[in-house]
Amino acid sequence: MSTKPDSIYRSLDRKASAIIEFTLRQYRTKKSTWVVLGVGFTALSLIFLIYIDVMASEFESIDNDGDSTDYDNDGYPRGQEIRLGTDPWDGESHPGLFDPPIEPDPKSMYINEDGFDWDVAVRIGEQSTGYDDDGDCMDSNKTASQKDTNDNGIPCDIIVEYYRMSDGELYVNIEADSGVDEDPDEDAYSREAIHLAFVLSIGKLGFVLLLGIFLPLFMATGLIRDEMNSGTMHFMLAKPIARSEVFLYRTLGYLGIVWPYVIVLGILGAVVSGFAGSGDSFFRFADLGVWLAIIFATMMATLVYGMLFNALGVLWKYGIILAIPFAAWELGMALLSMGAPDATLLRFSIIGWALMIIDAAAMLVWPNLDLFIVMGNWGGGGGSNWNFDTSLEGSGPLGFFSSKPGLGLSAFTAMIVSTLVLLFQAAIFWFIGGALFKSKEIQ
Amino acid sequence: MIPDFDQQGKAQTKEWVPEVSAPAILLENVSKSYGRIFALSNITLALNGGVTGVLGMNGAGKSTLFNLLMGKLKVSQGSVKLFGTDPWKNPAPYARVGFVPEHEKMYDWMTGHEFVSTFARLNGLTRDEAKSEANRVLEFVSLSDVAHKKIGQYSKGMRQRVKIAHALVNDPELIILDEPLQGCDPLARTTIMNVIRELGRMGRTVLVSSHILQEIERITEQIIILHQGRLLALGNLHSIRERLDKIPHRISIQTEDPKALAKDVIDIDEVFGISFPDGENLSIQTHNLGAIHSRLPQIIVENNHKVKTIDNPDDDLASILGYLTSGGGI
Amino acid sequence: MNDEETSIPQSVEFAAEAPVTGKVRLEAAWGSTEGDEDLTETTSQEPKADGHIFKQQYKPWNGELNPRWMRNWAILRHHLLGVFKKGHRPWGVPIRLYLLVVFVASLSDVGMTLVSGLIGDSGLHSVWGVSRDNLYAHVLGFFPRNMLYYPVVAALLVGGVISEDRQHGTSALYFSRPITRFDYVGMKFISVAMIQGLLILVTLALYYFAEIATMGRGWAWIIDTFPMFLATVFSALLLIFTYTSIGLSLSSVSKGKFFPGIALLSIILGTKVLAFIVSNLFDREILYLLSPYDCLAHVGQAIIGTQPTYDQYSWTWSLASLVAMNGIALYVLSTRVSSMEVTRE
Repeated sequence: MSTKPDSIYRSLDRKASAIIEFTLRQYRTKKSTWVVLGVGFTALSLIFLIYIDVMASEFESIDNDGDSTDYDNDGYPRGQEIRLGTDPWDGESHPGLFDPPIEPDPKSMYINEDGFDWDVAVRIGEQSTGYDDDGDCMDSNKTASQKDTNDNGIPCDIIVEYYRMSDGELYVNIEADSGVDEDPDEDAYSREAIHLAFVLSIGKLGFVLLLGIFLPLFMATGLIRDEMNSGTMHFMLAKPIARSEVFLYRTLGYLGIVWPYVIVLGILGAVVSGFAGSGDSFFRFADLGVWLAIIFATMMATLVYGMLFNALGVLWKYGIILAIPFAAWELGMALLSMGAPDATLLRFSIIGWALMIIDAAAMLVWPNLDLFIVMGNWGGGGGSNWNFDTSLEGSGPLGFFSSKPGLGLSAFTAMIVSTLVLLFQAAIFWFIGGALFKSKEIQ
Repeated sequence: MIPDFDQQGKAQTKEWVPEVSAPAILLENVSKSYGRIFALSNITLALNGGVTGVLGMNGAGKSTLFNLLMGKLKVSQGSVKLFGTDPWKNPAPYARVGFVPEHEKMYDWMTGHEFVSTFARLNGLTRDEAKSEANRVLEFVSLSDVAHKKIGQYSKGMRQRVKIAHALVNDPELIILDEPLQGCDPLARTTIMNVIRELGRMGRTVLVSSHILQEIERITEQIIILHQGRLLALGNLHSIRERLDKIPHRISIQTEDPKALAKDVIDIDEVFGISFPDGENLSIQTHNLGAIHSRLPQIIVENNHKVKTIDNPDDDLASILGYLTSGGGI
Repeated sequence: MNDEETSIPQSVEFAAEAPVTGKVRLEAAWGSTEGDEDLTETTSQEPKADGHIFKQQYKPWNGELNPRWMRNWAILRHHLLGVFKKGHRPWGVPIRLYLLVVFVASLSDVGMTLVSGLIGDSGLHSVWGVSRDNLYAHVLGFFPRNMLYYPVVAALLVGGVISEDRQHGTSALYFSRPITRFDYVGMKFISVAMIQGLLILVTLALYYFAEIATMGRGWAWIIDTFPMFLATVFSALLLIFTYTSIGLSLSSVSKGKFFPGIALLSIILGTKVLAFIVSNLFDREILYLLSPYDCLAHVGQAIIGTQPTYDQYSWTWSLASLVAMNGIALYVLSTRVSSMEVTRE
């Protein structure tokens, strides 16, 4: 046996590892642990399966600008008539009357014929981008001013303008010349948008909200309380160990089972969405950053909630009755953070800070996310003169589930600040729980 | 600060230095009240070395006393010191204390060995030390053969012994046992009593509670009697007994013909009174219980009396308490 | 209950017509008025050579048991009155407090109807008065009613209703009486459902009557809206039944006090959140079939006649799913209770 110096830390470490091991083994013998973990796994797997199914299916192509329709019933789609200069509303005017007559194009030629060709960076000011693939702007017999409806001197382009509002946030505005990128490819856009929205929503609601709240509710509330009720706490308290230490080590034991579980589920999600997700590459490596943030945020949430619910259990025999309304409050805060990430109320929640980590990571990993949402909402603008909802499938949910980190912080700072706040909250709840436990008389 | 996974090195179990010459247990004017009810009132007590029995009826305050010593309750008045330190504020003295709680609930899913060694590690022992120590104490309470069975399969007596083992694992100087004999069969009782006596011989301070006088009598002669939260008597059981011998005792005999038996018994010198509570019972009053009991069997056999039961209704804690609380007079 | 209470004959016959009084029931259980005069003695047949010790005295009970409904009524009463006063099944103070809060909070639309009726503001009344949508919202609205009120109440009620009996050993008290397990569970079920009914149905009825009273509604209006009201009552009953059966099956499965409560909440809210994600992202509503709340809401929308929010499948699917959920829950409940060991845990 070697003779390492026996520091205070080492003897602390022995007690800690003893209680942590003990707690883990105790969880292992409880049937409810396995039921809870199993149900969580099944529920998330079900969502993953639906996701895989959606990703494997074709997204319906929509004629966003309506130029595949033959309005005047002359056999020629509108797009062809516009390109060749005949009147799309007049059945007597069509390219078949040309000399030599031109055969009608198939309708499919006018669906998804002009997708997004954008290349812009996030910076304040106007940028010109876009390319008219199908030539209904560039090659048509429009006048120069008709080709430059957005008035920037460049014919057939799209102006993407970033501007900063008084609240300090960046906003995007899109102004396109008519007929440019007006019929984007749904399959390409929606697949990507739904993939992104899936990662965000499952991360925020599935992981941080459901796992983050219900795992501690089931598993942490009784960490100290159950032992106090059954009288077995006497064995532990008869040892030279401070009560707040017991509180901490029991919580660490709980994390010893919850954290690996969260990590495994997170890796499962990253693998599933990495392989099944959209894109040409074999695996979406870039998303791993967001998945890391999701795993990290869930770990932080389970830590803070674990400390809190454990403390509530120490406080009162019916601690769960305090915990349940609190869980409902956090659910409301989660929804609020998606709509109004700057709300002051969020600062009084735990989940608001945890979700901030995911938002910040999404901002880092997908810098063009805002633009991507705006693009989808614009959806080609409906061609030249159509006035219906042109947003593409997937942009709505993506807009709903993504939000800026709030507080006007940069992504990196936001991540660090929220992590520090969560650690601080955990420390506070540990302190409160330990103090409550210390002042508790145990019969 | 890397976690000490291999857990090497020697444990530093005695890092806490107690006050020199502080007694193991020191209570000064200790009171504990719940609202207006006093569970303990004004107890002053100092103990160091030897086995001491704490006697009292249910609700006399034995468990409250022990919970105060173990820092589970906060004193309302006065001060509690274990080796000179207040256990409510500082758990450090428990490095030298072993405690056997009265609660029946245990971790049924652990084996006895796991239970003892896990809790040994809370004393700062390493994994290996804890395992060998656990083997040692389980040997001491003669549970080695079932050490690797689940506690859930243990009998009541085995559970009590494994609790004692867990308390002894840090080689404590003070051992507190709350009702260790409760619910045990005679065999387990004897084993546990032997263990406690052995601990006393090893020079440890042992505090053991019970509500049955005979049990304590077989373990120790030094007793504390608690009654309704007050310290009623403290000292050698013999001296308390001697005083008790001077008070009248009753012997009640159930027989078919009490009058005939009474005629034979009245001749014994030590008998100073006889009464007939009902048609089947005879009650004898005496100052000297021993003398009567040595003569009685002979009389019964010689005269062929049909005796159903012989009972000493006074020879229990209740009547001693009754005597002590009534002021000691006859 | 019966005006003959005072004139119970000394040697009472426990016939079905016997009045229900505490005394009679006590006698039924313990035979307290009868002396030991008519003991039947059974002595062991052949005394063994090494002495026979025991002599068995067996006294057959000649009384007649109260009818089954009377015994069941006693259990039901015991549970229901516990909400209001001491001496019956003790529901915890926090639970009773929460019931009160939910009751008051559920009356919010009643209050607003009264206020709008008193002020005579038709704009306010059109928002708060009785309408198809408001009736639906009273029972099946998600926020706050089916997020904070009704599921939490159900969770708190079912939390200990069976598991606490097992924990404290009081189930042994029940099963040592002439009570079948089916009756025991049935009465637990009905009492938990009735407490929820007290909250949901009573406030619903108050809401309806508040409208009649403040707006001076006539028979024409009542005849017009009564089917709608009945449909709401029916969907409320469905909701109570579903929450109770799921909750009680969880309560019978678990030993702990809080596990059933949290599990019920996580089933109701968890499936709702997951289904919400899926329908929002993938435009597939199929997962709503797994969510008890959404199935109830869908069926409610169909029978109350509000604008359906689930339009990818027919409401009969939701009904079928509800039937399946309740079937599974009741199956689990009945098998668990019939195999339950009556021990203290």
